[in-house]
Amino acid sequence: MANLSSFINRSVSRRKFIAGVGAGAGAVAVLGVAGCNDSSSSSATTLTNDEDILNFALNLEYLEASFYLYAATGAGLKSSDMIPGSASSYQTVGTVTPGNAAAVPGLTSAQQQILTEIAFEEQAHVRFLRSALGSAAVPMPNIDLSFFGPLAVAAAITTAATGAGSFNPFSSFDYFLVGAFIFEDVGVTAYSGAAPLISSAGVAAGYLTAAAGILAVEAYHAGYIRTSLTGRAIAAGSAAAYPYLGAANLVADLRATLTVGDSAAPSTAGSVETLLTLPASLTAPSAIVAASPSNAVGFSRTVNQVLHVVYGSPTVGVGKGGFFPNGINSPLATTTA
Amino acid sequence: MADQETQLLDEIIATSRRKMFSLGVSSLAALVVGANALQAKAATPAYTDADILNFALNLEYLEANFYYLAAFGTTINIANAASTAAGAPLIALSGTVGTAGAVSGGSKVPFTTIPVASYAIETAVEEGKHVQLLLTALGSSAVAQPAINLGTSFQTLATAAKIPGGSGFSPYASDDTFLVGAYVFEDVGVTAYHGAASLLTVPANLVTASGILAVEAYHAGLIRTTINYIDPTGATIASYTNLISTLRASLSQAGLLGVAPSAYDTNPDDFGLATFSVSLGSEAGATATRITDADATNVIAFARNTTQVLNIVTGGGAVSGTAAVSPALGVFFPAGMNAGPNGFK
Repeated sequence: MANLSSFINRSVSRRKFIAGVGAGAGAVAVLGVAGCNDSSSSSATTLTNDEDILNFALNLEYLEASFYLYAATGAGLKSSDMIPGSASSYQTVGTVTPGNAAAVPGLTSAQQQILTEIAFEEQAHVRFLRSALGSAAVPMPNIDLSFFGPLAVAAAITTAATGAGSFNPFSSFDYFLVGAFIFEDVGVTAYSGAAPLISSAGVAAGYLTAAAGILAVEAYHAGYIRTSLTGRAIAAGSAAAYPYLGAANLVADLRATLTVGDSAAPSTAGSVETLLTLPASLTAPSAIVAASPSNAVGFSRTVNQVLHVVYGSPTVGVGKGGFFPNGINSPLATTTA
Repeated sequence: MADQETQLLDEIIATSRRKMFSLGVSSLAALVVGANALQAKAATPAYTDADILNFALNLEYLEANFYYLAAFGTTINIANAASTAAGAPLIALSGTVGTAGAVSGGSKVPFTTIPVASYAIETAVEEGKHVQLLLTALGSSAVAQPAINLGTSFQTLATAAKIPGGSGFSPYASDDTFLVGAYVFEDVGVTAYHGAASLLTVPANLVTASGILAVEAYHAGLIRTTINYIDPTGATIASYTNLISTLRASLSQAGLLGVAPSAYDTNPDDFGLATFSVSLGSEAGATATRITDADATNVIAFARNTTQVLNIVTGGGAVSGTAAVSPALGVFFPAGMNAGPNGFK
């Protein structure tokens, strides 16, 4: 793995690597091209209904909730929180491939309480969306929490943060922060991007207001993760003494590479990523907020851009992979741009 | 009549959404026109988009000056070495609508820790950019910066919140008190953008407001996280957050004028950093700390209407009994906000 990472850094652009090979990280995604269903052709041009949009969000919340619940308790969602609604076209309940997933050890009580809070809140979002969708709620898709390893390799984190070891977000609080970093800014931008698709009837039903409120909660969470990484790096005194900050920035780099259409270098105009910084004095600013460098307005991502990130693939026409080995339960499951 | 109004609104929404698609803009724009908005439209004066953005601009004047003073020791319209070095925008006070006022109180915080100092600087720069953005967007419709009290207002609020030593409270005294002062603003910014944005109809404005909503929530998460790191057991400043949230919830509730809160909102609509018990998966009884200010069931952040926000930032000046007072005066806005012909209430 270490060899692979250095190969990526030395020889080829990361983008080409992921697009062309997939390797450990994208293998499933690339295979997915052949195996994916045909829904991409319609979703490319047809506006979807509100249920599709809310179900898209629900798929992402299943992933986030599973990650945080495992990190907080060592187990995932209750079975009653993942079953399909009676009218859903998706009737198979997925399973979580836990990989290394386990309760994060060695937490202080303050850390445990906040991890518990975030897990609780993502679980609440799952329940809220399921309740709003009623019989149309899709079940939890298959979720692969062992994808953190390949993702870290693709991001070249393994060598940066842990030498020859493999990346495991469930092994310590600091690794957990990097794992959470993968999701949190994406959650914020996903709600921004998906919401305009909601119909006026859905607007009147209050879905949009609710989504704005969930967006804010995701930003609170992202604020926690980014503040913690920054603060712990400051306490450690240097980037070398706290490699997790750099690891998180490698995640941002990788997301930028995967995010087709907004793949400018992080923290520059045109990007949807803001790299964390390590303020070294009382007069240096931090970079907690992920927002446009010109006007400090938060980013958004389209459905496609979100899929590229969670599938770990920049390829168009991919319907599964990464954290979702069989794709999300949605007619929007396949990348179309 | 109601049907006609609903139909009209639907048309506006549909048009906005179409425009958004044709522009290729992805955002939470449409979000903002939610169920709450329908109620708010019926209950409040017909605010234009410019009114709503000006409401936000008044709040950004307040926030930006607070952070500039704390981080650099200067107001947003006067550069000094510190603000220049940080890249903080120098704001030309180009807004002319209403009565221009002075900023009183405030001074550079003698920061001793890098996390808090760097947070103050980052936030100052970002709030400055928000002021600049809104001034540019509003052009000649922009309101002037009103009179803003960033000195004694904090003592008034701290006393009302029953913070120990509140009558002598200064957010400029130390890293810790600065965090408490910042806490006063940040969650309010979230609820104000969440609530006010729902009145906007022009796509570009909605995009802007929703993006700023996210940034305010990042700030709010940041401030709560930092307070939690400094006081994980709630012995000092973390306990003050509960006092402040209780006060804000009470002022916000009065701002509802006896009407029930909108969907997904509750009374109280504000929570500090207290711990609470939750069930996770199949496990019951885990203890959590509130890093998020949101309703306890659905965990959707709160939205507030203009009266609720005004009543908080004027310390109760916006409401008399169950009637809205206009103009609302007091605490941070001793002469009230600057507004267009419809005023704010």
